[in-house]
Amino acid sequence: MADDTKSLALGLKRRDPELLDALIEQYQYRLFRYLLYITGNRERAEDFFQETWVRVLERGHQYDGRSKFEAWLFSIARHLVIDWQRQKKMQSLDALTHPEDGTPREFPDDDPSPLHLFLAHESEASVQASVEKLPAIYREVLLLRFQEELGLVEIAGVLNAPLSTVKSRLYRGLEDLRGLLAGEAA
Amino acid sequence: MSNELHTRAEQLIAQERVEGISTADQRWLRQHLSECADCAALAGATEQAIRMLRGLSVPLPPGLASRTQFRVRLRAQQLRGEPRWRMVYAACGISWAFGAATAPYVWRGLEWAGHRLGVPSIIWELGFGLWWALPAAVVAVILLMENVGRSSESAWKRQAN
Repeated sequence: MADDTKSLALGLKRRDPELLDALIEQYQYRLFRYLLYITGNRERAEDFFQETWVRVLERGHQYDGRSKFEAWLFSIARHLVIDWQRQKKMQSLDALTHPEDGTPREFPDDDPSPLHLFLAHESEASVQASVEKLPAIYREVLLLRFQEELGLVEIAGVLNAPLSTVKSRLYRGLEDLRGLLAGEAA
Repeated sequence: MSNELHTRAEQLIAQERVEGISTADQRWLRQHLSECADCAALAGATEQAIRMLRGLSVPLPPGLASRTQFRVRLRAQQLRGEPRWRMVYAACGISWAFGAATAPYVWRGLEWAGHRLGVPSIIWELGFGLWWALPAAVVAVILLMENVGRSSESAWKRQAN
């Protein structure tokens, strides 16, 4: 893997167009899914998707090949979303908690239940409904851990957060998801 | 069975999925789950929640990759152009500074050559003006060529869209 990531880093440094085309193809599903989970909106996720790859082109020289490419990719995407949130007078995804009790707020969205609308085409409607109800910060870590199968340290790198934060979000998210699914089943 | 055992089992069920547990803890948990129906149900629910989460699929917008590839290539093209423009500006700056510094000598040189060759002063004065205008002329040619390049690129973009 080390050799692969090193050659990837070299290609990104050279802004190799063929390599970028291949990466966009290869990671399109995973990146789009991640962006959809954290933005909760299909159109916005698509905008961020394109913006993320432009950023990869511009800042490819910053990838050193020592970490997994997808972790670096997700952290770029996440920063873009956070910047956009800041422009909307929000501080960051991390700040989306009530100062009093620390419980996460729902990720703000202008559209009516977009994730639900988008995912409703799928057969797993109850699971989708449950995932939709989860706050974005939990959806994000659950996706990174159980769908992307990133390690805890890698997730901490993507989130730029301490390991303890990652763990507590995972435990809380898992517990909430389990509870929501049980509620749907009942 | 004491509540402490159930609490420990509950913690280990989540911990096993999130960060992993030791072999000894695994052994203890398996033993406990075989004896406690409630904790076994919790373990089953956790496993099912993760399985369902993994099973979720997201349909991609059509043409997402190709549209993105196109946009990235355009940006790459812009980025390739940027250093060239910096070089043009730098060359103009250096040329202007060099021209300003050497203008009196060039003027005297041309004046001397004009007298020696018996050329009317208007000719060598025009020559001096031309010498000064040369860098600007070069930049004008570069700009013209760049504009021609851009027009054909725009046509290509329109075609691609």
